[in-house]
Amino acid sequence: MKDKIKIFLDSDLLEKHLLGTTTDMETMQVERYIAMYPEVRDTYVELQDNLAIFAKQYAIEAPQGLKDLIHARIKSERSGRKRFFSYAIAASITAIMFAGISTFFWNQNQSLQEEKSVVSNKIKLLEENMKEQLEDVRNQFIVLNNPQTKKYNVKGNQKAKDLKAVAYINPVKKLSYINVSKLPHIPESQCFQMWAEVNGKMINLGIIEEAGDQQKLMALPYADNAIGYITIEQKGGNQTPSVENIVANIAY
Amino acid sequence: MSTLLENHIVELLQERNEKAISLLYDNYANTLLGVANKVVRDPDLAQDVVQESFVKIWKKADTYDPKKAKLFTWLFRITRNTAIDKLRSVNTKSDKEIQIDVSDVYTLGVESTRPELMDVKEHLGKIEYKYQIVLEALFFQGMTQQEASDELDIPLGTIKSRLKIGLRELGKIYGPALIAMLLNVVL
Repeated sequence: MKDKIKIFLDSDLLEKHLLGTTTDMETMQVERYIAMYPEVRDTYVELQDNLAIFAKQYAIEAPQGLKDLIHARIKSERSGRKRFFSYAIAASITAIMFAGISTFFWNQNQSLQEEKSVVSNKIKLLEENMKEQLEDVRNQFIVLNNPQTKKYNVKGNQKAKDLKAVAYINPVKKLSYINVSKLPHIPESQCFQMWAEVNGKMINLGIIEEAGDQQKLMALPYADNAIGYITIEQKGGNQTPSVENIVANIAY
Repeated sequence: MSTLLENHIVELLQERNEKAISLLYDNYANTLLGVANKVVRDPDLAQDVVQESFVKIWKKADTYDPKKAKLFTWLFRITRNTAIDKLRSVNTKSDKEIQIDVSDVYTLGVESTRPELMDVKEHLGKIEYKYQIVLEALFFQGMTQQEASDELDIPLGTIKSRLKIGLRELGKIYGPALIAMLLNVVL
């Protein structure tokens, strides 16, 4: 232990520490030795006293006014710091306000963009819908005005005697429409459903609504020797037609 | 410098009371100005150094730990480092190399000599010159021990031992009682 202290004291670490020129690692070591060993501590105190004595021999009478200059600089340092803090507070408030406004505009921008995409989707849908309807109307016009169009009167069978419909078939343009003009009364839990058998496959053409559909032409998928059927189904329609409930058929 | 006064100054410093600066100035300014002057060798520049040092002392007050160093040691380190930095920046500005001439001992004007220091100076004369040049090179010229060894053409080992002996010589010359008295009178 004594050797360790002696080696430490013989090194110049304490002297370097006195001047503040030790590295961080050295400082830690020196501070540990000072704290642990009274001998090192006493030597360090002695060195500090000697440094003070040594430095004092070079003392010069400070000129008049230096003290005032120092006080003035420290005062300006303090007010500078105060000014810095007031600027910092002002800057912080501005930054918070700016952040708030930015968030507000950002949110607004987001909701506007969402709205824009909803509106453009709607426009797209409307456009498609309109095109479909136009195409439908154009086809209806062709079918109804074409001299090659054949007109078939469709009547219901015994299950639906009152059913009356007119089918328009144009084999040249390969277009067919049906106009169901009258439907017999059926319980509310049931509905009429239109089907077409095309090339051996049964295609669901949808439910025939009773009201408002009397003047409407329903498009039928065209095929040679196709057959259209009307069936009575449970309300809401069915995936496959109930053959026993066929009330009318149209061969075209 | 009594421990009581030193403690009082430290307390004021840590309370950020400007009276601390006043007391520090009254007790240490002359010595710190001497230290700065010894490093920069220009009385006007030395005054700038002391001003800057006091501002740093004020700013760094909360970093001072009385358990780690005596107040004067802390003040000395700040002033010495500020002076060395100042000297480097001045020399860089004027694009000159740092001229270190240890034989150029600063001479004090009669008017700037404090009578109460005369006794100390007489005693200091008793420290051998070979120790004094090493202490000055290390303390005031900002040299590392290796630089002092190169500059003074003295082996590194000798520099180390002269630094150690030189500092202890001071203690022997004055004796603990005289050191205590001087610390109270001079600082």
